[in-house]
Amino acid sequence: MSESDRKKPSGDAQPSPPGAPTVHPAAGTGPTPTNPPPSPTASGPRAGIEHQPPAAKPPIPPPTPGGKPTPKHPGFVTVTVDGKELVAKPGENMIDAVKKVGSDIPYYCYHHRLSIAANCRMCLVEVSNSPKLVPACQTPMAEGMVIHTNSPRVQEMQRAVMEFLLLNHPVDCAICDQAGECKLEDYYQRHDYRSSRLEGEKLMRAKRKVLGPTVVLDQERCVQCTRCVRFMAEVAREPQLGMFGRGSAEYIDTFPGKQLDSNYSGNTVDICPVGALLNRDFRFRARSWFLSAAPSVCTGCSRGCSTFVDFMGQDMYRYRPRENEQINKSWMCDQGRLSYKYVNQHRVAAVMLGRGEDRREATVPEALRSVAEQFKALAGTEGLAVLASPVASNEDLLATLSFARDALGVRSVFVSGRPGGAGDHYLMTPDKNPNRRGLEWIARGLDLALKPFSELAQAINSGKVKALYAIGGEVPVDPSLVAQGFARLEYLVLQASNESAITAQAQVLLPAAVHVEDEGTFTNLDGITQRFRRAYPPRADVKPHWAWAVALAREFGFPWAHASARDVFREWGPRVAELASFDWDGAAPPVKIARGLNPLPTAADGRPPGYREFGPPRDRGI
Amino acid sequence: MAHADEREIEEPPPDEDSELEAHLQTKRMMINLGPSHPAMHGTVRMKVELEGETIVHADLEIGFLHRGFQKSCENVTWNQCLPYTDRLNYVSAIMNNLGFLKAVEKLVGLEIPERAQYIRVAASELHRMHDHLTCVGAIGLELGGFSAFLYAIEGRELIMDRVSELTGARLTTTFGRVGGLNRDLPDGWVDRVYRTLDKIHELLGEVDGLLTNNRIFVDRMRGTGVITAQDALDFGFTGPCLRANGINYDVRKASPYWVYDRMNFDVPIGENGDNYDRYLMRMEELKQSEAIVRQSLKEAPPGPIIVDDWRIALPPKAEVYGTIEGVIAHFKLVMEGVPVPPGEVYDCTEAANGELGWYLVSDGSGRPYKVHVRAPGFAILSGVPRMIEGKMLADLIPTFDTINMIGGEVEQ
Amino acid sequence: MSLRALSLVQEKYPDAFVEQYTDRTGGAWGVLKAESLRPVLAHVKDDPQLDFKLFLSIDAVDRLQLPDNDPRFEVVYFLYSVTHHEHLRLKVRVGEATPEVPSVTSIFQGANWWERFVWDFYGIRFSGHPDLRRILMYEEFEGHPLRKDYPLRERQPLIPERPIRDIFRGPGTSGTA
Repeated sequence: MSESDRKKPSGDAQPSPPGAPTVHPAAGTGPTPTNPPPSPTASGPRAGIEHQPPAAKPPIPPPTPGGKPTPKHPGFVTVTVDGKELVAKPGENMIDAVKKVGSDIPYYCYHHRLSIAANCRMCLVEVSNSPKLVPACQTPMAEGMVIHTNSPRVQEMQRAVMEFLLLNHPVDCAICDQAGECKLEDYYQRHDYRSSRLEGEKLMRAKRKVLGPTVVLDQERCVQCTRCVRFMAEVAREPQLGMFGRGSAEYIDTFPGKQLDSNYSGNTVDICPVGALLNRDFRFRARSWFLSAAPSVCTGCSRGCSTFVDFMGQDMYRYRPRENEQINKSWMCDQGRLSYKYVNQHRVAAVMLGRGEDRREATVPEALRSVAEQFKALAGTEGLAVLASPVASNEDLLATLSFARDALGVRSVFVSGRPGGAGDHYLMTPDKNPNRRGLEWIARGLDLALKPFSELAQAINSGKVKALYAIGGEVPVDPSLVAQGFARLEYLVLQASNESAITAQAQVLLPAAVHVEDEGTFTNLDGITQRFRRAYPPRADVKPHWAWAVALAREFGFPWAHASARDVFREWGPRVAELASFDWDGAAPPVKIARGLNPLPTAADGRPPGYREFGPPRDRGI
Repeated sequence: MAHADEREIEEPPPDEDSELEAHLQTKRMMINLGPSHPAMHGTVRMKVELEGETIVHADLEIGFLHRGFQKSCENVTWNQCLPYTDRLNYVSAIMNNLGFLKAVEKLVGLEIPERAQYIRVAASELHRMHDHLTCVGAIGLELGGFSAFLYAIEGRELIMDRVSELTGARLTTTFGRVGGLNRDLPDGWVDRVYRTLDKIHELLGEVDGLLTNNRIFVDRMRGTGVITAQDALDFGFTGPCLRANGINYDVRKASPYWVYDRMNFDVPIGENGDNYDRYLMRMEELKQSEAIVRQSLKEAPPGPIIVDDWRIALPPKAEVYGTIEGVIAHFKLVMEGVPVPPGEVYDCTEAANGELGWYLVSDGSGRPYKVHVRAPGFAILSGVPRMIEGKMLADLIPTFDTINMIGGEVEQ
Repeated sequence: MSLRALSLVQEKYPDAFVEQYTDRTGGAWGVLKAESLRPVLAHVKDDPQLDFKLFLSIDAVDRLQLPDNDPRFEVVYFLYSVTHHEHLRLKVRVGEATPEVPSVTSIFQGANWWERFVWDFYGIRFSGHPDLRRILMYEEFEGHPLRKDYPLRERQPLIPERPIRDIFRGPGTSGTA
């Protein structure tokens, strides 16, 4: 194992070996080439076919004595892009830099966190120090360079590259998941909107080849950009994909007998610009233009990767990673991607009162009254315990623990949470709770002691604890064992989002909202607090944990009137030392919810027409 | 309106000896010609306050047919707005469709093929005849001449047959696409149209004979519903109602579009601005439209009917099902819409009722940002209280007829 | 086309315009200040060189989702001159905080209904309007539907039936039902 294998992945590609063109400081430039310009007349197989003749060669600046012009802004590189001046940092890639002046260079194989391959040839631009078009991703910017991203030569080249890429591309848009998010579609419509000139058959390769548990490959749709290969090698550090064959017979595949089973294989689906690599979980589930996207945070583990929640109506379809330089760069782990399922499945839908045969649906005021009656008697005694889950957001914990301290008079809180699991070498942590740090901080700020779950189990078994107020239904051991233990409790009030063996044991079951249904913050294991936005409102009687706490406190006679997570944070956030300086409004992700198209109206049974699925998405085969 | 309903009605004096001794009282009567009324074309509520037979005050209440045209258009692509435009002036739907498309094409900067322009002119004029026939027939009907109505409706039915052969629908045609037309003329359609026009010529002769010099008709229509030219301009009258006042403004002549500059037709101008002149305008325009239809169908050159640019027009189905380029273009055009560059445009055409103006704002995506339709009927309807206040109730009916208010375009 | 008209107005009222521009289709627009709206419109109507007597329409645009959205609303005016065969396009920019524009009903009678339309759908008041009430929506409607922050599928509260006074049925009877 070499030194680079042991290094923790940074989320960016490892730096190129010395001597590669991208390492050179951009302020340096070589002498101007003296080759004669190409002849403007068409010749060869393309003769006779109408196309734009290349424009006159742009003027080459005369070579300055000494070979290097003095920089206009010292320490930076000044170039002219489409007539506008651009000041860039040395080493900045041209594709990223020209966005600042409003120019847009199309590309497939370039990714700002991966090494440069320059094999798609889509980003070719006209520059003043070369007679040929150069790839913008690979060409370092030289002082005084004049760049044209839109000249007739460049346009013709973009059209030609699109034509070549589409020659062997299967006619799959109707069945391809990438439709609506596909670079091929977008660039075709922008740069080459002409008909096909292919007269033969297209190349045929393996369709829907299952590469691993997460990814399915369609080799015909692949444009051989090698983004996936580079990602697996450089960022995930598990080189499980490779390019095989040569020339037009190249194809992407896993190695013989091996699978693409890395925990980061889902990112190859994100970075694939076409529909070659697709997520098996999301396949055929929804059309991307109907999905709305809200910025959020993954709750799979305590890393708290920034995500986008893709949803339609009140169902969640998938997570996509959101750029966050501090935490997850542009990536997410596969476990985190699949962790959205609990948002849709087995949700507690209604307020329930009573255990066993007495179980019935109840109204919210009934349930609140029942809780108030029982807990008022036990408040302040040893017999009443509070169990908090580090899956709840900071606002949820602030309100519920303040209620626990002020109304229920507890001095210590037991910690539940999801059971721990495996971690990996990059993003995934063994602690599967998104807000453990937040819970620790809040407990300290509100002056409550935190005790482990095992102590609660002991206390229940010994009969010391008779009543329990549980925030969140996640427990760190087998739920059926815990349910048996909870059966000994005289009174269990549970605010849970998902059904489990435990929810059956609750005398009062209050349906809780998950993070996509409310605004709030999570604090990850490194102490970074992140805001997430609400995607869609919860159904029926489902409320966030803090709203239940406020309602219960009102039953107890406290004049709490908090109407939003913001109010909750405003009220109690300052008491927590680490959260006091957190700017709740300012930390909101700048990107707001991107609405998808309004899908067709649903039929009477709630099923949108044209979709085979109905109800929330379920597990599928391939 | 709440306050109008609660306007005080005078209490009658207490009953004296008997009804025989009681004074004959006259008091203002509030009559509600209310949204569901055979004489109110479309759903318009008119509360008239009558002093005897004289209308003292007329209060128009509209909005019963408002269906959220603008808001709906903001939610769909440019081509998907066309069915919404059908339902504006539903009696001459093709004119709405093509007027909208003209504005969009101007915003994109498109030049449509010549054949498409000729066919657009022919279809527009055909639907103009449709609208005027309906109007003329309704005038006859509401003044008691049922036969004239039936002749006019027969003519209208013939046009609807031709239109349904052309577009696939009798009423809500959704004709045309951004960049040209969606369908070409069916086989044998042009001959059938000529025969239809001959038949309509006959029918118009009948209607003319029944109405134009009919003593009762003339007495009821001449001198009623008068509006001065100044007021007409002030209110925003356009089309036959404005030309009945003697003002020569027709968009087809003032700023010709498509191939109207090659068509030989006249624009009738009236004198008095009363109901009779408005009726005569429409009768004469029917004849002129017939001439335009004949000429444009005769002169329509063969050729493409839509621009050959897959950023604008859908590719042919053989390419969509067979090549990746076709299917990509199809997907992009259907889901994202025609990429109209950001900007705004005000453009107008001469619809059956007047200048149909479109103010479109695009934000660069394939969906409209704002679609404002300057419905000619809206402006004309706002002038109705002016036309009938101080006149008799019986004059209200022909006035409402001749302005040809179509509920769909007034209330979007 | 109407650049001529705009330049004539510019001569008479040099401070009236915030800017003049030509849109991408070649139409000339004049952006007026709210306080100069009435004098300018009266002038373009009466001046025989301009003679914009045909009042076409008024509408508003809510620029909330466009890149430059401050001020939020634009009220657009369209007029036509029959004698000079020209369209005139004017607009007034209105902010969200005080959406108010002087009414031109006293100059053009046709503006009455169009201004009611803009009030109904955008919530922009027209000061000096004789009867500013909703025109297409019913009076009890809440909100201004064409604003961009009014959702497409918003629901309205159910309103009770209005009380209706019966008609007069003859001498000796009272007016109420």
